[in-house]
Amino acid sequence: MSSGPEIDRRTFIKVGGAVAAAGLAPSLPVPVAEADARPEANPPREAPYPAKWYPFTKHPDSDSCWALSVGPDGRIYASACAEGVPGGIVKPTRYNEDRDNLDYLFDLPAKVDDPPDSGRATQCKIHYSFVPSMHDHVLYMATHLSAPPIDLPRYSPWYSWHDEKRCFRGSALLAFDTRTDQVLWWDTLIPKEGCRCLLHDEERGLLYAMTYPRDHFIIYDLRTRKRRDVGRISSINPQCLFLDKRHRVWTSSDYGHLVRYTPETERLEMSPGLLAHDLNYQTGWHSVFYDIAPSPDRQCVYAVTWCPNPHLMRIWPNEGEWPRIEDLGPATQPRDTSFPVDMWVDHCGGLTFAGDGKLYYVASRWRDPKYNPGPAARTKGVVWRLDPETLKREEVAYLAHPTGPAHYVSRGAVDHNGDLFFGHVGNTPSGIFKVSMPADRKRPNAHLPIRMWG
Amino acid sequence: MAMATQEKLRFDPNSPEIKAYLNGLAHQFLSEGTMVAFPTCLPGMTTPIPHEESRITALDINSGGHVYGGTSGPRAHLFAAAFHNLTGIVLDLGVVRGATSTAAVCCGASRAIAFLNGPRGGRAVGIPYVNLAQDWIQEWGLEPTALHDLGECVPGEPVIHAVCAGSGDTIVGATTRHLFTMAIESGKIVIVGEAPGQGHLGLGRAGAFGRDEGARLWCFDIASGQIRRGAIDLPAGEWTGPLRWARDGNSGLLFTADDAGRLFSFDEDKGFRARGKAHLAPVGPMAVAPDGRLFGSCGTEIANLFCCDSRSDSVTNLGVAASVLQDRRYGYQFGAAVTGPEGEIVFGEDDNSGHLWLYFPRIAGLVRS
Repeated sequence: MSSGPEIDRRTFIKVGGAVAAAGLAPSLPVPVAEADARPEANPPREAPYPAKWYPFTKHPDSDSCWALSVGPDGRIYASACAEGVPGGIVKPTRYNEDRDNLDYLFDLPAKVDDPPDSGRATQCKIHYSFVPSMHDHVLYMATHLSAPPIDLPRYSPWYSWHDEKRCFRGSALLAFDTRTDQVLWWDTLIPKEGCRCLLHDEERGLLYAMTYPRDHFIIYDLRTRKRRDVGRISSINPQCLFLDKRHRVWTSSDYGHLVRYTPETERLEMSPGLLAHDLNYQTGWHSVFYDIAPSPDRQCVYAVTWCPNPHLMRIWPNEGEWPRIEDLGPATQPRDTSFPVDMWVDHCGGLTFAGDGKLYYVASRWRDPKYNPGPAARTKGVVWRLDPETLKREEVAYLAHPTGPAHYVSRGAVDHNGDLFFGHVGNTPSGIFKVSMPADRKRPNAHLPIRMWG
Repeated sequence: MAMATQEKLRFDPNSPEIKAYLNGLAHQFLSEGTMVAFPTCLPGMTTPIPHEESRITALDINSGGHVYGGTSGPRAHLFAAAFHNLTGIVLDLGVVRGATSTAAVCCGASRAIAFLNGPRGGRAVGIPYVNLAQDWIQEWGLEPTALHDLGECVPGEPVIHAVCAGSGDTIVGATTRHLFTMAIESGKIVIVGEAPGQGHLGLGRAGAFGRDEGARLWCFDIASGQIRRGAIDLPAGEWTGPLRWARDGNSGLLFTADDAGRLFSFDEDKGFRARGKAHLAPVGPMAVAPDGRLFGSCGTEIANLFCCDSRSDSVTNLGVAASVLQDRRYGYQFGAAVTGPEGEIVFGEDDNSGHLWLYFPRIAGLVRS
């Protein structure tokens, strides 16, 4: 995937992961008692959740699957992204349950008149930006940036911002009809910038997005197809937005505060309190949302942050002036906090509720000489199941890739049959995992009520 | 559809062009000096000015080295700041009722005057100087500052800009159509005549300058109180936008830029002199370090910083502002700049959750191996 002698971002995170997995991180003595306390103490239960890997074989350049969502038709959509390849493109895919493989829907750049040999940064990926529209069976999708122009080894949106020939043309918004498999229309959602994450308020016909790199909060009116820039939030992009019952849109700032947009006042406001983080050494900085799953009753959301030692939390947006935030504890294993870890290794994502009313998510696990010793093993993804009533959590499956890593899950979703799917980042070609739910824990239309954000 | 792969790279990684490109990437963020983004609060002790109310659009510095400024947004705030000795604070002095933008802050000898706009017109507000040289932790004392509304400057006309003149007892200001003076101590305003306010005012040794109709400057002689319309021709360039100025505190030399980013110095006796061109336009706020180097921002949306060395008339692209001390922040838009008491440049960030950015330029003559 490397495009030259230098180390690009994706190569770097792979190296970081490999180093940690190989146990090359700074070593520490291994107290047995602490080793026994590692979160692997409860192995997956006897009746397994079998996991199967579906590589994007028809897009061999793909290196990441950032978007995975259930569509308005109850089927699973995933983005086969190629961000590490000069001129890389994204191909939206869909899981075909009849053939048990993937359908490649279209080459996205061709649909939006932005060919990969344009000399600009390319339409290489769809980040957390699949959102359903239930009334008309449309799946909206918005593109993101990062792949270099076809004749350059790397791309920086800051460096090329003022370069008309090189600058990313802009995030393309597509309306895909899931009944006819046709792109009904497209528009430029955000000129020059990528769309980090997308949300659909269907009752009001509005899309909300976060831009990259400027981190602006955008509203797009689907009726008028006009965009409004509400303004900047901070520097590090939040990776997710969520909607409450009062049509307020929520995300987070660099400093770990909730950010709330209220349509009636048109204001962006910061919460006084902070999202859950590790109080031992963190201040809340970089505790931006990574993934957020709504509870089935829509009274609260479950969220995890994009920072080392990510914490799982439960947020009650409909309570009080500012929501109550419950810290449900770290999602990943303990580690030596005197040495940095990258978020490729220490990661949690793929939050989704399944038909059994339980929250599922995937957290990475890696060998650590102190906190998770043992034979050198590939860093892996652990599928967790959390009971919202008792908050008890259990491991139900490990994700396994034939040859590569299997721990970095971007998004998760449940299809209309009740099975789990997870998008994965880090292999070439990249792909998705299907985790079949036990028969007694699945139900038809388990994807409803549907999540309205990517 | 064409697609690049490892086997089909359309560039030579070892070509001079690609190496130059990668070198540019390596210097895309602040390539010289150090920046510190300081929040609009006493860190750990107070909350910053609210997110959308903290776009810093006006700054000035008093003789004690303390910075006074104002913000723009749904509500405009005034603040005082200091960053030396044991004082590291941006003190929110409060909201100015009915104001949504701060056009200028002028630090006089006895107090500062802010000029703000909003539904109540273009008004002046007196700011008593705050005793910032305190410990600010544990035992200290300060009452909330009372801001004094000094009224509308010119009825029905927003204030565009103002500068402190003389020995710190007079302000020269411009509205959209008029020039006025204010006695800082009394707050008395005198409308001295008609002149368009188009951008900032420059302050020379004996007069103030502003953009007049056409490619000309009007000149206001402070001693006589006389306006000379169209007194000075701007040099060859593109002059349709509002002007920005910076002043060398040692030499009195002024700097400005045209719409295309061409930089000029201006001496009241010798006139304009071209100094090079910023790599992006328009040029935003600028300030001059004590060694004569001019620093400023340029470009829209994601601005870059530049340095103009007036000794060599060379202009250097310093990249996108970035602060990595404590929490990382990128600086995209700046609204004001002043030279700090130790020669650093203080930029006011004109953005949500705006910070005061202290820029410590690379020491001249430093050679890195």
